[in-house]
Amino acid sequence: MINMELKKTPFYQKHLENKAKIVNFGGWALPVEYQGSLAEARITRGGCGLFDASHMGEIVVKGEGALDFLQSLTPNDISAVSFGHQQYNLFLNETGGVIDDLMVYVRKEDFYCVVNAVNKDKVLNWLVRRKPEGVDVIDESSFTGLLCLQGPQSEKVIDSVFGERISSLSYMRFKETDFLNQKILISRSGYTGEDGFELYCQSEVSSKLWDALTANNCDVLVTPCGLGARDILRIEAGYPLYGHELDEHISPLEASLDWVIKFNKDFIAKDILFDIKMKTANQKRVGFVMIDKSVPRQGYLIYCHGKVVGKVSSGTFSPNLSKFIGMAFIDREFSLVSGVVDIEIRGKFYKAEVTKYPFLSLGRKKTIKSGK
Amino acid sequence: MIKYSKSHEWAKIDGDTAEIGITDYAQSQLGDIVFVETSVLGDTVNQGDTLGTIESTKAASEIFSPLSGEVIAVNDQVETSPQLINESAMDKGWLVKIKISNPNDLDNLMDQDQYKKFVESEAH
Repeated sequence: MINMELKKTPFYQKHLENKAKIVNFGGWALPVEYQGSLAEARITRGGCGLFDASHMGEIVVKGEGALDFLQSLTPNDISAVSFGHQQYNLFLNETGGVIDDLMVYVRKEDFYCVVNAVNKDKVLNWLVRRKPEGVDVIDESSFTGLLCLQGPQSEKVIDSVFGERISSLSYMRFKETDFLNQKILISRSGYTGEDGFELYCQSEVSSKLWDALTANNCDVLVTPCGLGARDILRIEAGYPLYGHELDEHISPLEASLDWVIKFNKDFIAKDILFDIKMKTANQKRVGFVMIDKSVPRQGYLIYCHGKVVGKVSSGTFSPNLSKFIGMAFIDREFSLVSGVVDIEIRGKFYKAEVTKYPFLSLGRKKTIKSGK
Repeated sequence: MIKYSKSHEWAKIDGDTAEIGITDYAQSQLGDIVFVETSVLGDTVNQGDTLGTIESTKAASEIFSPLSGEVIAVNDQVETSPQLINESAMDKGWLVKIKISNPNDLDNLMDQDQYKKFVESEAH
């Protein structure tokens, strides 16, 4: 079942020790779940879950002109971000479609770009082909491990291992610190909507880092969680996933990422996006909750009064709400009003209500602590 | 007598009726089950016909009827509590009961030892 050629993260042995079910995820051998996705998704909202996201790509962009180079390829304004802060951003193609979404960590010496595993090579090629003289693009993915500690109890765990200097970080900020004489980068961020931290380390120290986080130093049980729970949690939080809510043919305006597009700076395909903005996008990303019980999945058609008005992009059972929820692209006119639609599932129609997302109130930290 | 199909359903045969469900191996492969939809009372099915759908957090899977017959009972409890299939696939997680119309169908099914070997060979 498991192909020997699958790439393994530095935590592969830990997954086996914890009896994970391993699946092939875009060429990576990754845990889909340990005890079960529903339990893991509940634990993360109530306690503390540990996710291996080492398959993500880490690309360093540096050199004179690195800021201008990245600014020209992305719609969010990186120049507005101070050192030690991170920003959600997009790499756009010439037609305003999304090559990938990314997190940019602004460091004094460079820009640390974290991209999706499935898009890493595509992004790397895109950057290398376009980079001007003096800008270096370095792929650090192969020797970087990434652990995401997520949930309301995460701060306690981080405090017990790294102390207050790290545990006092505000949301979307990061610091670098030493761990066993190796530099690791820790940010207060994540893909679950809960409070949490993301830890980037060199492969050599990765298993020691896993041990330190799961050592139960502070009476918080740290539970390993798989990709299944990660997907449930990001849908509950209303976060887009590449290949579902984002791709090269969906504009970020349709994906309801208007807040990422800063028209007061220049970037690739700005004119095209501005045009869409003025005319208003044809479709919009919305959330929905099933009224009739059934599992909505990507690609299912959505009807209103017998006419197709949209398509499901993601769906799941939410163990934290005990409801079937999802996201969809819906024709503009229908997305403006909340309403009841029909979703076609195996030839039958099931009622769903169009809603806003996130589907639950998120525990992530929003406030900037004073004096820090 | 319990018989098994290659698509991982079981049939507990009692005279001319059979209780039908999915095997413990099947539920462990599917992961957390969140939705079940089965044929309704009075439906008639042939061996190999779709008897319903089970959806887990991972995927939707069809249930194929291991025997031909008429549906004479449906387990309402698994529709309201699909996790019963994870917890008790071979007992409380049964799906439907049918009145067997073609006893020869049994020849196409495996006994417990054969099924065990079949699962082991599939796992490789």
